Amino acid sequence: MSTGDDRNLDYESGTASVVDMHDSVRREKILQPSGAESLGLFPLVLCGLVLIAGGGFLFKNANGFSDSTYINSDYRPDPKPVTDDGDGEAEEVAWIDSWMKEGKKVYGNCAACHQPTGTGAPGMFPPLTGSEWVDGGTARLGAILVHGINGPMTVAGQSYNQLMPAWGTLSDKKIAQVITYVRREFGSLPEGDDGVVTTEMVAAARDMFKSQSGPFTEAQLKAIPEDKQLPGAKVDLQTGDPL
Amino acid sequence: MTVQATDEDIRERASIDRSMRFPVLFFFTSAAAWLFVATILGFFSALKLRVPGLWEECQFLGYGRVFPMHMIALVYGWALQAGIGVMLWLMARLTRRELKYGMGVVVIGHVWNALVAVAVICIWSGFGRSIPLLDFPGWMAPLFAMVYMAMVVWVIPMFKTRREASIYISEYYLVGAALWFPWVFITAGILISKEAAPTMAAGAGSWFVSNLIYFWMAPIALAVAYYIVPKIADRPIYSYGWAKMGFWILALFAGWTGFQRYYGGPYPAWIPAVSGAAVVFVLLAVVATISNLAMTLRGKTKLWEISPSLRFTAMGMFFFAVYACLSAVSIIPMVQPALQFSFFLSGLDVLAIYGFFSMTVFGAMYFIVPRITGCEWPSAASIRNHFWYSTYGIITLIVCLLIAGLAQGGNLSRPNIPFSTSFMNSTCWVVGACIAWLLIAVSNLWFFYQLALMFVGKGRKSEGPTLIHGGHDNAEGAAGTA
Ligand code: HEC
Repeated sequence: MSTGDDRNLDYESGTASVVDMHDSVRREKILQPSGAESLGLFPLVLCGLVLIAGGGFLFKNANGFSDSTYINSDYRPDPKPVTDDGDGEAEEVAWIDSWMKEGKKVYGNCAACHQPTGTGAPGMFPPLTGSEWVDGGTARLGAILVHGINGPMTVAGQSYNQLMPAWGTLSDKKIAQVITYVRREFGSLPEGDDGVVTTEMVAAARDMFKSQSGPFTEAQLKAIPEDKQLPGAKVDLQTGDPL
Repeated sequence: MTVQATDEDIRERASIDRSMRFPVLFFFTSAAAWLFVATILGFFSALKLRVPGLWEECQFLGYGRVFPMHMIALVYGWALQAGIGVMLWLMARLTRRELKYGMGVVVIGHVWNALVAVAVICIWSGFGRSIPLLDFPGWMAPLFAMVYMAMVVWVIPMFKTRREASIYISEYYLVGAALWFPWVFITAGILISKEAAPTMAAGAGSWFVSNLIYFWMAPIALAVAYYIVPKIADRPIYSYGWAKMGFWILALFAGWTGFQRYYGGPYPAWIPAVSGAAVVFVLLAVVATISNLAMTLRGKTKLWEISPSLRFTAMGMFFFAVYACLSAVSIIPMVQPALQFSFFLSGLDVLAIYGFFSMTVFGAMYFIVPRITGCEWPSAASIRNHFWYSTYGIITLIVCLLIAGLAQGGNLSRPNIPFSTSFMNSTCWVVGACIAWLLIAVSNLWFFYQLALMFVGKGRKSEGPTLIHGGHDNAEGAAGTA
């Protein structure tokens, strides 16, 4: 009878004697030919449910496979706000907090490219943090959001040559909220600027750039003075009323 | 019913294992080394999120670099190499073919390791691309694709000249995995390159991640499960028909997944809708596989207590089901917008790569390594530790993920909670991720130590297998179950 060590050696040198082979090889069972049983009803029912769920999802959300519908009419970037937390009395929230929160939801549209943290992706999507386009006046931002950008542009010292889709199909309010969010969250604002953009200002932007067809180029954007602000009244951050 | 292996079978097995010895051990050990690197980096990147100011001065340790390094090491260093090791061995055993010119694979494996190292160093020194799991500089992509193909071509001649007339289900999965990956990798690479439309590039990134999981990790893990479970239960697969259906479902639908993450984003609405439906349809494959395996194992669940291979594989399959279900849940219109850009999705990736793929592959390794090294795993206690620390790590991860995801979503819908607190809720996830990676790192220490002992031939030399409970002395009834 050989010791365990010997057996190991035999195995390495490829002994032909089965008895001397290493135990793990000997003890192993053979793989039997696959069976052909029926799994019964339960998995079938489960599969049926999965099919119904998947098919239902597809036809509810596919919008007849139209190429021009980007956002489903019933898509809410987040659950609808409830102003009441269940105990019956509505609590006071600063207007700016809910405005920012809504802006963050709209930002869900941008995060795919500019990243949730606003850092962008090197060479592909420019950052919003530390970007002169965000830190400057609101007129350029309004133009960018309503019409998009195409072609080469320089952001924070890096050059990009891509397409930024236009977001003019969003409501004025949503555009206002997302610009506010981007400026306050990622921008470094000049002294005395609270970063807020109102619905009224976005309406003014649409009006201001209504002759533009197709996305802006960098040169066209540069033609808008860097510190130009969209016209509109400033608001009280607590109540949201115009000052 | 037990069918005894004949002497002929045993001799054949032994010679196949011998031909596999160096290539497979090479892939396993270098994969394990990368896994170690990856878990440490994973822990540090989670820590960076928790304590953002940590090592502020040093840009080499920024989150933006540590996290991609961690993912690259985890996927290309660990997962791909471990998967290829498993693929080679399983294919040889199933086709009953020895590996010819095995040293060739080892040489190519070295090139692969060098590539992964270069990729990690490039990201470290700031040449990364910030595309999840494709972070390495663009010029490396063709190299990765070529070297990968040079590693997997070895299974094709084995498959072509197989000695078994009928094709076992695992072979379908293995051939599938071998061929799908280059397709997924090259397609994603082209769509992400400079010339492509930017919107397409963003979508292609998430398509790649999704397909890496469903088209590469899942097939390999399922091939392992369909091999280990019947072997250890000493039974045939319950239903070959269902097993094959699972395969074709995966083949049909997995490629459509990925864009569901951009629901409401810059694509025509039908694209994410199709992806979402595909995610749901993949559940068919999950139902087919899990119920089939469960029926194969029926009445023998006690084996779970003793066989390490079975235990890891079964846990991996459980996490497979959890992963697929959570992915399907995350597209429900009610929760999707809240989860869309939260930590939830990156947590899901970890669940797939570690919880599901790695656990199953560990199961395969516990089975394969004793056979190719000719010694037994040194200690049952270490296997237990490896198992439980990993499992607890993953479970911590899932639980934190759910809490953080739900809390974040719930909060956003209530404007009367100040804006900043909705960020606070991510703390739960961040702390959870730290703990999870720490547990996983500890669990892997047990594994590396054991694997290293096996590698240098210092494993146990005794008769019986190393079983989780009951030790090797009283394992008469359980022989053949390791
Ligand atoms: C499909 C990807 C994509 C999406 C989605 C997207 N952007 Fe952009 N964005 C770009 C690209 C690409 C550029 C650079 C354009 C160029 O190179 O001409 C850009 C440029 C910008 C700029 C000017 C440069 C800078 O970085 O400051 C701003 C501001 C901006 N985007 C804001 C937004 C906002 C706000 C949203 C969401 C409503 C958004 N983007 C959504 C891709 C995108």
